[in-house]
Amino acid sequence: MNILEVKNLNMSYKTIDGEVEAVKDVSFSVKEGESFGLVGESGCGKTSVAMSLLQLQADNGKITNGEIVFDGIDIVGLNESELREVRWSGISIVFQGAMNSWNPVVKIGEQIREAMREHYPDKTKDENTKKILELFNIVGLDETIIDRFPHELSGGMKQRAVIALALSCDPKLIIADEPTTALDVVIQDQILNEIRKVQEVLGLSLIYISHDIAVIAEMTDNMAVMYAGSIVEMGNTNKVFSNPQHSYTRMLLESTPSIVGPKKKLRSLDGEPPSLINTDPYCLFSYRCPNPDDNCKNRNLEMQLIKIEEDHYADKCCVNCG
Amino acid sequence: MKSQKDIAKEIRRKAIKKNWQLFRRSKLGMIGLYIVIFFLFLTILQPILFITGVWNKGVYDPVVGYSEQFQEFLVVECPKEYPTDKYDERSDCPGRTEVNIRTLFYSDAEVGETIIQNLQPAPPSRKHILGTDSLGRDVFSQIMEGSQVAFVLGLLSATLGVGISTILGTIAAFFGGRIDSYLMRQSDLILMLPTLPLLFIISAFAELKIWHLAVVLGTIGGLGGSVITIKSQALQVKVKPFVDSARITGGSRMNILFSHVLPNVAPLALLFMVFSVTGAIASESVLSFLGLLNIDMSWGLMIYLAQVEGFIFSGMKFWWLILPAGLSVTFLTGGFYLVGRGLDEVFNPRLRDR
Amino acid sequence: MYKYIFKRVYQLIIVFFLFLITSYVLFDSIPGNAFQNLLLNPDLPPEAYEQVIKLYGLDKPLSERVFLYVQNFLQGDFGYSYKHYPKTPIELISQRLPRTLMLFAMVNIIAFYTGFLIGKILAWRRGSKSETWITVTSVFSYTIFYPWFALMMLWFFGYKLDWLPIGKFLYPEKWYDAPFDSDVVFVSMIQFTAIVSIIQILVYIYTRNIESLSMRRNARFGSFIIITLASLFYWNTGELLIQKPYAMDIAYHMILPIFTVTVVAFAGTALLTRTTMMEVMKDDFILTARAKGLSQKRIRDRHAARNALLPVVTSFIFTIVTIIDGSVLTETIFSWPGMGQLILQSVLEEDIPVAMASFSFIGIFALVAHFIADISYAYLDPRIRIQSQG
Repeated sequence: MNILEVKNLNMSYKTIDGEVEAVKDVSFSVKEGESFGLVGESGCGKTSVAMSLLQLQADNGKITNGEIVFDGIDIVGLNESELREVRWSGISIVFQGAMNSWNPVVKIGEQIREAMREHYPDKTKDENTKKILELFNIVGLDETIIDRFPHELSGGMKQRAVIALALSCDPKLIIADEPTTALDVVIQDQILNEIRKVQEVLGLSLIYISHDIAVIAEMTDNMAVMYAGSIVEMGNTNKVFSNPQHSYTRMLLESTPSIVGPKKKLRSLDGEPPSLINTDPYCLFSYRCPNPDDNCKNRNLEMQLIKIEEDHYADKCCVNCG
Repeated sequence: MKSQKDIAKEIRRKAIKKNWQLFRRSKLGMIGLYIVIFFLFLTILQPILFITGVWNKGVYDPVVGYSEQFQEFLVVECPKEYPTDKYDERSDCPGRTEVNIRTLFYSDAEVGETIIQNLQPAPPSRKHILGTDSLGRDVFSQIMEGSQVAFVLGLLSATLGVGISTILGTIAAFFGGRIDSYLMRQSDLILMLPTLPLLFIISAFAELKIWHLAVVLGTIGGLGGSVITIKSQALQVKVKPFVDSARITGGSRMNILFSHVLPNVAPLALLFMVFSVTGAIASESVLSFLGLLNIDMSWGLMIYLAQVEGFIFSGMKFWWLILPAGLSVTFLTGGFYLVGRGLDEVFNPRLRDR
Repeated sequence: MYKYIFKRVYQLIIVFFLFLITSYVLFDSIPGNAFQNLLLNPDLPPEAYEQVIKLYGLDKPLSERVFLYVQNFLQGDFGYSYKHYPKTPIELISQRLPRTLMLFAMVNIIAFYTGFLIGKILAWRRGSKSETWITVTSVFSYTIFYPWFALMMLWFFGYKLDWLPIGKFLYPEKWYDAPFDSDVVFVSMIQFTAIVSIIQILVYIYTRNIESLSMRRNARFGSFIIITLASLFYWNTGELLIQKPYAMDIAYHMILPIFTVTVVAFAGTALLTRTTMMEVMKDDFILTARAKGLSQKRIRDRHAARNALLPVVTSFIFTIVTIIDGSVLTETIFSWPGMGQLILQSVLEEDIPVAMASFSFIGIFALVAHFIADISYAYLDPRIRIQSQG
């Protein structure tokens, strides 16, 4: 049962310099209870995808095409008040840089309660408090945090509180957008464990966004690799990792150091991500690809995902690359 | 091969161009700019009209010009009781084109005759777009003169004030300790003095012409609260890593001050300057309005004269004596303020539309 | 921590005395003195002038006079007014002060409340057509040439329409048979306003703990109704009943000045709120609030505006500090005999004791207000609260 189906999503931002096509023809689906990973370098469009799932894109961003079907309803066509019902109680999000997700002048507990009041207006204060304490228990926070202000918490505590906040209205799907980027490795590990535990215990679906491919490998069942606004490879995580087809995916894997096995020289990509203003439909990776074939060089192939094997798709133009 | 200096210049040019583009996108800023340019135009217009001879200085000079306005008047006798069938209130008689026989001392005219009199202040006409004041001086010319005064005064005092507060604020931030304490207490002292009474006192023992007033306003402004704000801004720059690296690489304190701190404090200083101009123009107008200054002609003075001669409560009858001056002060100060808001948007990305 | 406070207080005292000395020197540098018109009186021999000068000690050198003044000041002796002998400056100030306070307290409360509201809405509707024009109008309200505007208002409402009185703060005819002074009435009016404001603030604080939003709104509205009814009751009983018509007369005279100053004052707050809100709106937690599914209004009021409150409150405190300075123009134009007019007159008449006392009052007032500003800052921003305790 698919909790989320994204079909042909296109999103662009209007800027002084032109229209930036941040998300180009992205399609994927997430099942109930599944953990889905979205990986790619900075600026590839993963956060834009996340934002459009909740229609939280910036004022100059617009979904120009596509469907987002959550629990059977297409969110794209909804108006503001309908969207507000979906937000948080249907889909919630743990933001990148969750440090700043908190209003500095309001207590943590009150901010969580606020969300609960919005979606469960009939519950009493005590019921809400009880629930918050349960959530704190799950994420490993002390009871006293409820009455504290955000600046009294450490980075890790704030992060955990954000997860508690995300869970507060019993959502079916949580989006975690690089939740551990600003934290040290030890805390990172703890948080990741928390998230996984929470997901298993509550049976939630999770979309995990990161540029760290190692974390994706650890956390997700299925994944998609994004580059320059499009998905270049996607499928079951194990299959993608064991048999990467797209040049970009291969470069990503090869650039991650391993502590087992013989020492290898790390490979990295030259060049920079392309400008997303007025792009063409052909593969935008071609000029950085270490092994482009003639079609890539001549730029006459349009991007299209083809099936490699069961549960594994990649962009057709790079399947044949070396 | 471009030298370092050329590259630096080009970067600066591009930055200025970008800032200008950003400023253009600010609606408020552009509206303000148009207003300021309009008044600037008025400022330049007057000398041009005089030099090219389009305007005769004898007639149109704002201070000593004189223009005869002859008009026909009907001689009437104003009744003792009101209302009558011709007049509703006492102030309706005599009407604009009438004259009360009781006020004619040197004429043999009788009721019902028309006589020709030289009437000042005269309403707007083709010769004088905004009419003349009670001394026969062209009001439009006065507005332009007032514009000159406003710009000179405003820019002078603002530059002086911002110069002083920037230097003091940066010094306070950088040298800290006793100097800092002293400068802060000095600012407190100035802040404690009430501005208007202070200006009163100063005008009582010093004759205030434009330049003097500019210096006074600039000094008071510069030594006051703005030092504190600039100091806190400079402090923020001081703790930035690049300042430390500049010191490590051997930059002298002066060098750091000029090439690193000042450019970062400059946006704030620029903003202050623009807002100081509004304060200076407003202060001058108020002081002139109260009759405390020795400036030949300014907008505040125009309203002062109108009030002293009793034209204010005549309402709309003598509107050209009151409205243009009041509106000019309002719009020019408003214009500068809007420009300041526009600059705000350039320097503070969070305030932009996108 | 204590060392810091001690150092600050010590510096404050020094600044205050420097302030006193500076003021005295400034006053002295005005040519002439308060008694010069004695010279013009043909009936008095010139020795009379000499005698008076000697009596008041004005023949002594400046440095000696300054020293004497400070000495007396420390003993609480402020001398007698030169022009209104035998009134002391304290008497004059205590008479004039309630009048200024009443007027400008009302103005500031209304102006800040309206300004904050409008600024909040303006920032939220950023970019819309109406926003630009309302902001521009606010700017021109803010920079309007005040004397001109005040005179226009006086002319229009007082003269032309004859709706409101022209200047002064009461109709002398109505007060002929009054059993008390206008000061008494002013004081009771101020007391009343202060009590109502405090009750309202307390209500606000206590209702913050109510969970349900609709209940909270009802509680606040209910308390407002109760306060209004209580006020009506209050003014209709006992001694206040007698004072009521006189208070109404004063209130009637307050309408025009309050309205005029509010037009200018609210614009300043509105613009400041707008700018601050626009900055706050770009913060991440606003995004979180949106993601939580909160309504636009809630996000605007509870999250954005709450954070924008800080600079606005600071500016409010600063306005209170400069209340007397700001009142000079208004009181002159509207003939409202308050502190502002007192200062102006005493400066023009060179009534040094009164002028010095007024300036001292302003100085102390400014210092105390700064202190209150720091405290309220700490209360509003919990980050500072913790720091100052630690």
